[in-house]
Amino acid sequence: MTFSRLFKAVALMGAASGAALLTGCAANPMAEQGMKAGGHEYVLTVTRPNQLHIIDTETKDVVRSCDVPGTFGSGSIASSPDGRIAYVLTAGTEKVVGFDIRNCDIVFAANQSINGERVKTFVSLAVSNDGKELYTVQNPTRKLNDRYDVLQPRLAVYDTAAGLNAKPLRTYPVDRRITKIAVMGDGRIVLGGADLTAINPNTGEVKMLSKIQNWNRAGSWVPPDAFAMFNQGEHVGEYIMPYFTIKWNGAPGDMEKAEFWWGMNRIDLASGEVEETETVPFEFIVFNWITDPLNKDILYGAFNQLSKHDISKKETVAAVDLDHTFYSINMDSNRTIYIGGASSDISVHNPDTLEKIASIQLTGDMSSADLRVVKLH
Amino acid sequence: MNNNKSKRALLGGSALALLGAIAAPTTVSAMDGASVLQEKCLICHTRTGDPEAPYSRISQQRKTPEGWHMTINRMQRLNGLVISPQEKQAVIQYLADTQGLAPSETAPYRYVLEQQPNVVEQDIDPAYVEMCARCHSSARFGLQRRTEAEWKLHVNTHMAINPTTELHALARDRSWYDIALNDTAPKLAKDFNFHDAAWKKWQAAPKPELAGRWSVAGFLPEQGDYSATLTITPTSNNRFELTLDGHFVDGTALKGSGKAKLYAGYEWRAQLNVNGTKMRQVMAASEDGQQLTGRMYQVGRDEMGGEINAHVGTAIAGVSPAAIKQGAVQEITIMGSELKGNVSLGRGVSVEKVLTRDNDRIVVLARAQKNATVGARDVRVGQSRDQQALAVYDQVARVAVVPAESIARVGGNGGLVPKVQSTYRAQAFSAGPDGKAGTADDLNLGYMPANWSVAPFNETAEHDKDTKYAGSIDQQGIFTPGDAGLNPERKFSTNNLGNLKVVASMGEGDEQVSGDAHLLVTVPVYIKRAVQ
Ligand code: HEC
Ligand code: HEC
Repeated sequence: MTFSRLFKAVALMGAASGAALLTGCAANPMAEQGMKAGGHEYVLTVTRPNQLHIIDTETKDVVRSCDVPGTFGSGSIASSPDGRIAYVLTAGTEKVVGFDIRNCDIVFAANQSINGERVKTFVSLAVSNDGKELYTVQNPTRKLNDRYDVLQPRLAVYDTAAGLNAKPLRTYPVDRRITKIAVMGDGRIVLGGADLTAINPNTGEVKMLSKIQNWNRAGSWVPPDAFAMFNQGEHVGEYIMPYFTIKWNGAPGDMEKAEFWWGMNRIDLASGEVEETETVPFEFIVFNWITDPLNKDILYGAFNQLSKHDISKKETVAAVDLDHTFYSINMDSNRTIYIGGASSDISVHNPDTLEKIASIQLTGDMSSADLRVVKLH
Repeated sequence: MNNNKSKRALLGGSALALLGAIAAPTTVSAMDGASVLQEKCLICHTRTGDPEAPYSRISQQRKTPEGWHMTINRMQRLNGLVISPQEKQAVIQYLADTQGLAPSETAPYRYVLEQQPNVVEQDIDPAYVEMCARCHSSARFGLQRRTEAEWKLHVNTHMAINPTTELHALARDRSWYDIALNDTAPKLAKDFNFHDAAWKKWQAAPKPELAGRWSVAGFLPEQGDYSATLTITPTSNNRFELTLDGHFVDGTALKGSGKAKLYAGYEWRAQLNVNGTKMRQVMAASEDGQQLTGRMYQVGRDEMGGEINAHVGTAIAGVSPAAIKQGAVQEITIMGSELKGNVSLGRGVSVEKVLTRDNDRIVVLARAQKNATVGARDVRVGQSRDQQALAVYDQVARVAVVPAESIARVGGNGGLVPKVQSTYRAQAFSAGPDGKAGTADDLNLGYMPANWSVAPFNETAEHDKDTKYAGSIDQQGIFTPGDAGLNPERKFSTNNLGNLKVVASMGEGDEQVSGDAHLLVTVPVYIKRAVQ
């Protein structure tokens, strides 16, 4: 904790004095826009009807809101590594639009529904480590005169420099039901679906990372219900696919003797290492998990409660009721917790006490939108 | 030439359609559905060249008028079909008559056509429960017959118009699309087979004659039991006028009139005004033409309705209440039509006095002897007899609240969707010969008045004070849910949802008996379809 405070302080100093150097510009254009670079952190989210909001983690103020073209999609967001460009899934999840968050300029747009197809993306949005490529998983259907075709889903690779009418550079077939994706240290992309796989975006080669639905456990475990509809984990470079499962201690179906478990597949994106573990017994609904940067065994989750869990003991160590239902959770490098989605306010919490320390009111409902934390360089 | 074709198609249709077209060829309602289909639908659909299945996608499905209505609505909403209300009506009539369902095919699923609230579908094949019957009723597909290719194409439609279908709970844990296509669709094609002989047989069968006078008995939640005479007058092919003339059990007059349509030779759909309230009747004529049975409910408030049964000719249609206690003196109303002659209530029950007498309703003061044997007896009025219509009992030993599982929906409060109430009746039983309540030999005493209240269903509901927020019940057994929207008074500012028990109690002191039913007060539905 001391370390992360220090880190934040250094980052702030850097922003104040050396931003010009860090960004490689003669002057600091961001200062005029009320934004700080040098790794200063901003929270990004989308609200209905369709605005991207940029929130300063230091002041908790909305510094800028950009109108997103098209009807609200899922509000999924991916960011360039330098934190400058936020890619937003919009137009009923058929389009990706990239914003320069420093001025709301639209620098990238890809309408995925072309060539007579209708192409939907279920939150699958990620940017390559060098920022040059954008990845989506596309779920195409085609309408004919009196019927629909359901086509094979695919990974689409876009050149982020392609401008406002971007077309995929390459596509590769992938499984159905892919939701959350993320880029690993080696450039491969984690595909979260029935199982966790990794795809090489240059060859299309897919390798199993971790079996979930097809796990090889003995018959007393029910195949898990795994699901991720929100992107987060950037604060520690992780990818978490939560799941729910049941262990029959008596006959299958004997609820009296059964154990109900939350679990997760957690990937360290830098190393590609995967853990599969039951986290805590099921007591209440948790939509998303994030890991404490100071201790990998500590997880935070949110829904009706903000909860803190110690998975080494398989215990919920603390939980506080939230003002209403929330979906998404994220953390800045100061370990401050942000909880959003569902409604129009972001609830801000202290990670040690779970106490609510601030509330950020937005202009509309976040519903299914991501809450992302970016470091602006 | 177009005309010629359509006439041929019509000849191939049901005898009834043919008759109507000849009898009244110029009315709007007799607009030629076959030619409308060719004009409006073949803009996108194609001629296959196969005389057995001439039109792509259209010819290899059979369904109810409501089913066709839903499909054509989607053609308008999502596919760009432009069609006038009269043309649409004509196509629905044509398709429901020529590619409809036989009475035996709709019999298991009448509840969904009748818009019955609170139906818990029982014994659905496990292969369908999670794959299909989690978003809508199993009746929605149970009321269709398709070829395997058509079931498969419809799976594709689901995926295309609702792409997250495969991501929902109970779908994302399996290969939903592959299973739907490769396992569910072939099974549907067997269980709900397009070529089922029932339809051919029904098409060839003589159709019920509906014109004339019918003796009607029914129930409405706010007014109770009623009896009436239903008079049906044909106006043109498959079109009728109707009047309803009778009394509610308390003596209030019941007067109604309206119009009706008939599909597939037996599906009766009427829209009428009953004592100033707009109502709908959804009934099926029995194959022998002796009965019409179904449900009558308020337009826009589907839950406010009840069963309606019509019989040909004179008959006792019902007795209310249907039980009398040993030693008691009470009023009993006999309902029916052309009720002429002496009233007899069976052994041990005497008619003290006839209080009122109409053609359709007799109210008597009845006395049951102290030692009258417990059990049901026939009720007679002149030559008419209603078997086992009145029970003599010693004591109410059990109360069942009907329906046992129910849903009400919050609404109103400035929102677009009104509240959906739920209505209950208390059914009484005496213990029967074994003296034990809750056993197979319990004697059904019919519906009786009760004291109504709500209670928390479980500890969570108690803790969250659901009885305070979720709504209240009146002494007619009508539950009115709370307002829609978030309630800052509640934990997590949640809405006024609740998990309740609806409790009916009868009798006093030691003799008090009560029963309960489960009520879930839940969120409004924004999309309501003809086949839920
Ligand atoms: C503008 C184009 C268009 C017109 C006009 C049109 N359809 Fe369709 N129809 C479609 C398409 C596209 C589909 C496949 C998608 C779907 O089921 O909605 C379809 C599907 C169908 C199906 C199969 C639906 C199912 O549930 O599997 C039926 C039946 C059908 N149409 C009937 C009709 C009838 C009857 C008409 C005329 C009253 C009509 N259509 C007019 C485009 C059209
Ligand atoms: C994700 C929810 C969902 C699931 C699962 C689902 N349906 Fe549906 N179904 C719908 C909706 C929504 C409609 C209404 C489509 C429209 O707009 O007309 C529909 C309509 C239908 C209709 C009527 C369509 C017509 O025009 O005649 C049938 C039949 C049907 N479904 C069968 C099935 C079967 C069989 C399955 C299982 C393989 C299934 N459904 C699974 C949501 C679902």
